[in-house]
Amino acid sequence: MSKNLSELSLRQGIIDGLFERISRTAVETGRADPKLLQQLADDFLIGSASTYGAASFYDFMKAENQGKKAYVCNGSACLCAGTQKAVHKALSRHFDSTQIGHMTCLGRCHENAAFHIDGKNYSGSDLTDIEKIIGQSQKNRDSYSVKANVELLTQEIGDLKSFYEPLIRLIDSKNLDKALEDIKSSGLRGRGGAGFPIGLKLQICRDVAADLKFIICNADEGDPGAYSDRYLLEERSHAVLQGMMIAGILVGASWGILYIRAEYPESVDQVQKAIEELQNLDLLGADIRGSGINFGFKIIKAQGAYICGEETALINSIEGQRPEVRTRPPYPTVEGLFNKPTVVNNVETLASLHYILKNGGESYRSLGTEKSSGTKLISLDSFFNVPGIVEVEMGTPLRTVIDEMGGGFRTAVKAMQIGGPLGGIVPVDKIDELTVDFESFARNGFLLGHASIVCIPEGFEMIKYLEHLFDFAQYESCGKCFPCRLGTKRGQELLEGAIVRGQKIDKQLFVDLLDTLEQGSLCAHGGGIPLPVKNALRYFSKELEPYFIHN
Amino acid sequence: MRAYINDIAYRAEQGESILSFCNRILGKKSIPTLCDAPNLEAFGSCRICSVDVALEKGAKTKTMASCHSMVTEGMYIYPNSTNIRRLRKNIIELVLTDHPLDCLTCEVNGNCELQDVAALTGVREVRYPQGAHHLDRPKDLSHPYMTSDLSKCINCYRCVRACDEVQGQFVLSMAGRGFDTRIIKGMDQSFMESDCVSCGACAQACPTSAISDVFESKAVRTDTKVRTVCTYCGVGCNLEVSKTEDQINSIRAPYDATVNEGHTCLKGRYAFKFYDHPERLRDPMIKKNGQLEKVSWEEAYDYISSKLLHYKEKFGADSIAGISSSRCTNEENYLMQKFIRAVVGTNNIDGCARVCHSPTALGMQRTFGTGAATNSIEDIQHTNCILVIGANPTAAHPVTGARIKQFFMKSDNVSIVIDPRKTELAKYANFHLALRPGTNVAVLNMMLYYIIKEGLVAEEFVRNRTEGYEDFKKNILEIDINEMERISGVDRDLVREAAIAYASAPNAMSFHGLGVTEHSQGTFTVMQIADLALITGNIGRKGVGVNPLRGQNNVQGSADMGVQPHQGAGYLDVTDPEVIKKYENFYGVSLPRAIGYKIPEMFDAALEGKLKAIWIIGEDVVQTDPNTQKVIKALQHTDLVIVQELFMTETAKYADVLLPGASFLEKSGTFTNGERRVQRVNKVLEPIGNSKADGQIIIDIMNRMGYEQADYTPEGMLQEISQIVPFFAGIRWENLGVNGLQWPVDTQGKDTQILHSDTFKRGKGKFEFHPFEESNEIKLHAKDYPYILTTNRDLEHYNCGAMTRRTGNVLINTQDALWIHPDDAAQHGIGQNDWVCLESERGKVDVRALITRDIQPGVLSTTFHFPEIMVNNITSDEACSEALCPEYKVVAVRIRKSKGKHLAKV
Repeated sequence: MSKNLSELSLRQGIIDGLFERISRTAVETGRADPKLLQQLADDFLIGSASTYGAASFYDFMKAENQGKKAYVCNGSACLCAGTQKAVHKALSRHFDSTQIGHMTCLGRCHENAAFHIDGKNYSGSDLTDIEKIIGQSQKNRDSYSVKANVELLTQEIGDLKSFYEPLIRLIDSKNLDKALEDIKSSGLRGRGGAGFPIGLKLQICRDVAADLKFIICNADEGDPGAYSDRYLLEERSHAVLQGMMIAGILVGASWGILYIRAEYPESVDQVQKAIEELQNLDLLGADIRGSGINFGFKIIKAQGAYICGEETALINSIEGQRPEVRTRPPYPTVEGLFNKPTVVNNVETLASLHYILKNGGESYRSLGTEKSSGTKLISLDSFFNVPGIVEVEMGTPLRTVIDEMGGGFRTAVKAMQIGGPLGGIVPVDKIDELTVDFESFARNGFLLGHASIVCIPEGFEMIKYLEHLFDFAQYESCGKCFPCRLGTKRGQELLEGAIVRGQKIDKQLFVDLLDTLEQGSLCAHGGGIPLPVKNALRYFSKELEPYFIHN
Repeated sequence: MRAYINDIAYRAEQGESILSFCNRILGKKSIPTLCDAPNLEAFGSCRICSVDVALEKGAKTKTMASCHSMVTEGMYIYPNSTNIRRLRKNIIELVLTDHPLDCLTCEVNGNCELQDVAALTGVREVRYPQGAHHLDRPKDLSHPYMTSDLSKCINCYRCVRACDEVQGQFVLSMAGRGFDTRIIKGMDQSFMESDCVSCGACAQACPTSAISDVFESKAVRTDTKVRTVCTYCGVGCNLEVSKTEDQINSIRAPYDATVNEGHTCLKGRYAFKFYDHPERLRDPMIKKNGQLEKVSWEEAYDYISSKLLHYKEKFGADSIAGISSSRCTNEENYLMQKFIRAVVGTNNIDGCARVCHSPTALGMQRTFGTGAATNSIEDIQHTNCILVIGANPTAAHPVTGARIKQFFMKSDNVSIVIDPRKTELAKYANFHLALRPGTNVAVLNMMLYYIIKEGLVAEEFVRNRTEGYEDFKKNILEIDINEMERISGVDRDLVREAAIAYASAPNAMSFHGLGVTEHSQGTFTVMQIADLALITGNIGRKGVGVNPLRGQNNVQGSADMGVQPHQGAGYLDVTDPEVIKKYENFYGVSLPRAIGYKIPEMFDAALEGKLKAIWIIGEDVVQTDPNTQKVIKALQHTDLVIVQELFMTETAKYADVLLPGASFLEKSGTFTNGERRVQRVNKVLEPIGNSKADGQIIIDIMNRMGYEQADYTPEGMLQEISQIVPFFAGIRWENLGVNGLQWPVDTQGKDTQILHSDTFKRGKGKFEFHPFEESNEIKLHAKDYPYILTTNRDLEHYNCGAMTRRTGNVLINTQDALWIHPDDAAQHGIGQNDWVCLESERGKVDVRALITRDIQPGVLSTTFHFPEIMVNNITSDEACSEALCPEYKVVAVRIRKSKGKHLAKV
């Protein structure tokens, strides 16, 4: 990251910033137009290497994307479901091979067979209607089961005016201390994976003096298998927006930025609609309700890079820099977007705030376990009899989620990867030892993460799953730190060699590689990939052993 | 704060990284790293610097990258645990899976940081099977200096960061992501095609040979390294010159240099090959039968001394004049003025400062009492506002320019540029006051007006430390804002906002250049800049002040040493009887009483037949002084023209005696940079051929003419100078250290970073009002010559270009070009790179057009680096009314498309 580029990017404001303008250079052909990149570099005084380098990072702007018309989802859930060969075949009848690309996880994990044409996502039985789909202008919203054992995030929004009551009260009373106290006492921890207490984050940011601050909603839900954020963005948009405004007012931020992945076009539309509704309630803009508070929203549509889910990469992305991970400190709360204090939170975390303000911190805290309060959304893939989103009180036995809420597995499953590609691989015989909370998962050597569940069926070879994980990791590595840039590639190559060419893997080398990634990586991307691999080595040693040799 | 390394307690500083803590305690490089560099921010990409950390003794350790993790109270650090050693080895093994193992034939063999770290980790094999790699990346040899071989790249980003954080150019970035992430120049172009400014910061930063230069500056040879000071501008960059026997191999910038902190520009780093260019003058020559012929030194000395003695006797000492060189050392300048005053017996001594910063010296003396920068370059880190007026430092003072650019890019800082052209800095500035050339006084008076009007005057400072304010205020408030706005062409609101921003900043600095001084009101403009500092109290502390960007490397020093017709060594008035007595006692001879000729007056005297002999050292007056034809005539009218030079310059062609001097690489002495820093210049090589150190030549002639002066040594000369120049009192060759001392230096050797902290040299700072006055050039010629030409400098060339045109720089910047606005070009049917004939009252020249919106309509701009163009054929005799500095910045011209016929024969 470059402090200078952050500053120069800010000079031209937030409304139509560098990143969006870079994105637009690729609208014509799918590849960023060098002439337009040069023009942007001149306009921003940042050198053409900066704009060219940034554009080349993203799936939907890089040269390889030129001329792509259809995309096949290659996320973990679709892979395990084995639906994608058929998807590719069907698309091949309408597009030539150079026009078909891939996207990693369209969030249609509940029915798989996912693909993307012309800015819209399809899945499940849509494949049979492919002729109709091409050229269709309507957005395509899917439906899935939503269940809860405690309804908090999944609660209906209902009448908007009364839904926004907590925010209106906060604005009118300006009792910020009380609200922050409630959030602190609620014990709410970040739902993006790291579990950092949001109250503390807000407090730190609030304490930094600055003329400009930001709230960022990290809606770059890139984890294959996860679509609970998509659910919130599309079905509970106002909960997300209200949470952002509450957080914004508490820290003194006047901008709320939603960074939504390009693979979720419907989410962008729904949130945009919700912002307009909020505008109509006169709850946005300058001097809201005569309070002197200013607040505006800005949606930024990402361009296809998993690493942007990492908060500092996300910040770089919004600034139009290459979305590489920044070193910490300084933390974003002190020096974030455009070098200004910034709170970055996950969709689900922000969507919980209105409940806390409405019902008080203690009420939230009374839900869940001592250290993991509240509720958690879980995404279930198509291996469940009832796939979809479930909301459970923290501490709920995993067994309850799987059997009672998910209706059990549709076919034989040997393991589940829970919490995204960096989450643990949980063998089915560990289900009864786990409850849905941060501590239970950590204690057992797994990771709750974002709590998406991707099932690995009995017939799916674990070595291939590991190769898939490493392939994903190397493809999505930002390339900044040595261990991740080189290590994920070498890991993928070792596994591929074992699968394709029967080359046995030096076990010590593999262990060294995993340790290097885990200890040496700059962020959780490289640092996290060893966890599922180590889980697999431990719980599926018999299946994997033939691929390794001990020197 | 206490922290532990290997269980031993040490004192740690708040906010210190673990890396710098460990390096401080255990010694430099005690923790290996590949991505960290002394002048770059922590980046955290290589992870080699990882250490194990526990929050209490015996607790579970966590591995952290030490470069970007801060030491905290009571932390236990294990920088070299078994786990860490294994981690480092494993990372290096991964690096080696994508790095050629051709160390023996690699340019940086023996000086490769990857090699060092690999050796340290003890990696003995690469266990990974052959996989994807980037070993087949092609080399980039497109550029005269910069090279790259990205197969050697380890993706540490040091080059990218150096280009951003040091030079601020953004030429380098990465493209792609993950394993295929790779360095790019511009839009994946070659160095030559990119916007690279060839500063070499990337090459110096690169830990391998991935980015380097044609001089292989990182290669290990049987080198000797000599630290010296650059000859190219007043910044005074320290250079580390590597040589093998009598060959210079390469130059690098030392990280411990206060002035340049490991950075320098393409002139300092790469433009050194002039030193042994075939065209270097290697022997003395005397014109015989109209031809210059090689002679012995003895013959040359005899000829010169007998002639000079003859003129002195026959026409009086005032028939002789000397022009000393700001490229020479302090010691040599001191000697030259001593020679002219004490041996010849006249005050006819002047230097190139006359045609550049004489108004600065004079103006600042009138306001403050001292004609030198009030503050230090380092103060840029301590200021909130920088006003750059009439200067283009990213081209002419690149290292300071780069620092100012870094400052300008930060949004919390106030940045103001007053310049007719959209300079690189103007593009980054908050306020760009693009005035019509020649109207500085109008704009600055407007600024002063608004500061007073807005109640932003530092009343207490003005009351306690200044005089003349009430009159000044009255005059300022009476200026006609409408008229000033019309004259300058700058919107009054913009001026007002800039004035408020400057005056409201807690600390504000100004930097100015020749766009201030080279005007008919040059001295008054300098005084106004000083007034701005006075009226806002921005004087006498860190991060404020008035800071002229001195042009030549030692232009400060030459004036300090007395290369001026009215002031002797140490700025003492040569007409003051007390002073005369002091000098006479010191030099042991009787001295002239009258002020001598300034350079333009020398030429006038020559044309009147009063000047018989002139000795010009290292100054190409024909190419660089205004009104070329007049200068040529003056030289032709002078019986004896002695030129001491490195090359056959345009001036040297008119010499009767040509003396081969030595380049900065071939002699020792001191240069004084623009912040009054006296730094040691150390001889790298013996003078080429039969050339001699310029100081020794002067001494030889002094002795020849009967004045005893010991042979030239910097020690001996400084010893002498310290006894006569008050602010050099404590300066000795031995105690200058690597980074020199900033004058005044007291007898105890204590130097001075900031002037005027408590009091001004003249007592109180003096406000003096001067109204705007239109230049005669415009008054007399604007009607017939409606365009205004302003001259300036490019990054790649230095002044007359005698040195830089004999280096690879000429392949990067091949010609003088005329900046012209597209509207003006269209009106005259001029296309890109067409010849344009510029015609003034004095003559015509042809220049190639460079159509750009960086210049305003009606204004043109060009350089004077190439003798083919000889732009000074059309510049005028107009000069600063006070200091006689020529008005290069306002030339009334008319233009037309041409065929390039009006080129000088070179």
